[in-house]
Amino acid sequence: MKVAMAKPIEDFARLFGAKLNLEKGLVVKKNDKFFLLSPSLERLARKCGDWLFAGTYLGRVENGRFFPSFSLLSMIADQAQNRVVVDDKAAWLFVCGRDIFKEGILEVHGSKNKGIYTLVFSRHGECLGFGRIVRDLEKAESGVVIKNILDVGDFLRRERSTRISEI
Amino acid sequence: MFGREFFVNRYRLLGWEFRDVTPKQAIRVNVMNVKGINILERLRGLGVELEKIPFLHGGYWVLCSDFSVGATVEYLLGYYSIQEVAAQIPVTLFADLRGKTVLDACAAPGGKTVQLADLMENTGVIVALDVDGRRLNALANQLERCRVKNTIVYRLDARKASKLGLKFDKILLDVPCSGNFATDKGWFRRRTLADVERNARLQREILAEAAEILKEDGEIVYATCSLEPEENELNIDWAVKNLGLETVEIKCYGEEAPTEIFGRKLDDSVGNCRRIWPGETQGFFICKLKKRERG
Repeated sequence: MKVAMAKPIEDFARLFGAKLNLEKGLVVKKNDKFFLLSPSLERLARKCGDWLFAGTYLGRVENGRFFPSFSLLSMIADQAQNRVVVDDKAAWLFVCGRDIFKEGILEVHGSKNKGIYTLVFSRHGECLGFGRIVRDLEKAESGVVIKNILDVGDFLRRERSTRISEI
Repeated sequence: MFGREFFVNRYRLLGWEFRDVTPKQAIRVNVMNVKGINILERLRGLGVELEKIPFLHGGYWVLCSDFSVGATVEYLLGYYSIQEVAAQIPVTLFADLRGKTVLDACAAPGGKTVQLADLMENTGVIVALDVDGRRLNALANQLERCRVKNTIVYRLDARKASKLGLKFDKILLDVPCSGNFATDKGWFRRRTLADVERNARLQREILAEAAEILKEDGEIVYATCSLEPEENELNIDWAVKNLGLETVEIKCYGEEAPTEIFGRKLDDSVGNCRRIWPGETQGFFICKLKKRERG
């Protein structure tokens, strides 16, 4: 176990205009994965070091790129400036891995410019994932405007690949 | 010693007349994740027909749904878990879980781990163990989806849990077992008494390890989804006689476990356990244990 810098996580949050204040001693890097631990879990993790998963999973680094967890997106969601709210149909299609059409967007907050990362929210205020704006939201009138990068449907895709019956 | 007739005859000797059943699907609301959200209304709005399970807090039968309840946004956000009814019972038998150190000794794929975290409101610590890599991946996914924050997962055999050097307030032993015909339609074709006895030995080893690492005032909840007494009443009788444990009276769905098995008289306290024959739920066996007071 190594005590890691929270830098990749804080850098990721900044993509959305959010600032995270993670207590550095409680952010732990295990292999390529980052976790946020409570003080009691941190003590336990130090005592019995050979664990696989602990506390709140924040994300992983692969080939130098940071891949966030949904827990991290939820933490960022409260502060993110860049966010869009989509209608039910667009929300469902997004969760199924599809991109977002201009027609499905109900609200835009923060930057509307091409190339910017934005969180995607349902009309219930739930963060469903994030994407990258591929056409200026101000100018585009229809068609794909946000490219899906990560959505909560990922859990379903993971479940399908490691199907275990629960009893 | 195998085959449908052999096992059905054993059930008859235990007082239950065999009938084939298919348990209804059920969900359990993760209360910690739905604060301010009317999840039942949301599901009804999607056309999911639910019925409250009278003997469970937060448990609902799924009576009708045009789609899989495991493929909704609400499921993906961890608002509820899909969990068989009888499997929802064991965790509810622990008293006062908040802030405690809890061992989930055979945790994957994690349905009960999430339920523990929910009842603990993400306080304290859950140490979750399992040995199978694929099942551990499923456990990690469940923990992330359901926003569990108080759990640490080890790839470790429950029989070696003392290697962690910890003592626990609560230990959940949802032990590997032979299963039952209600959830496994090929059960009678595949299972033999030798399988059952092999599983029973493994379960006794896990019970013995748990007794070692339980705090003096701690509690163990032991559960199987097997109908075979070797994995249930006989193991608890052995634990009471050999591990310094005693059973605790529980009030939950199910009937009093028999204290005479195929002519063999067991300790009367085995009657504190609950046996659930397949019907409204799958088959199940549940027992709560604590250390016997000295002196």
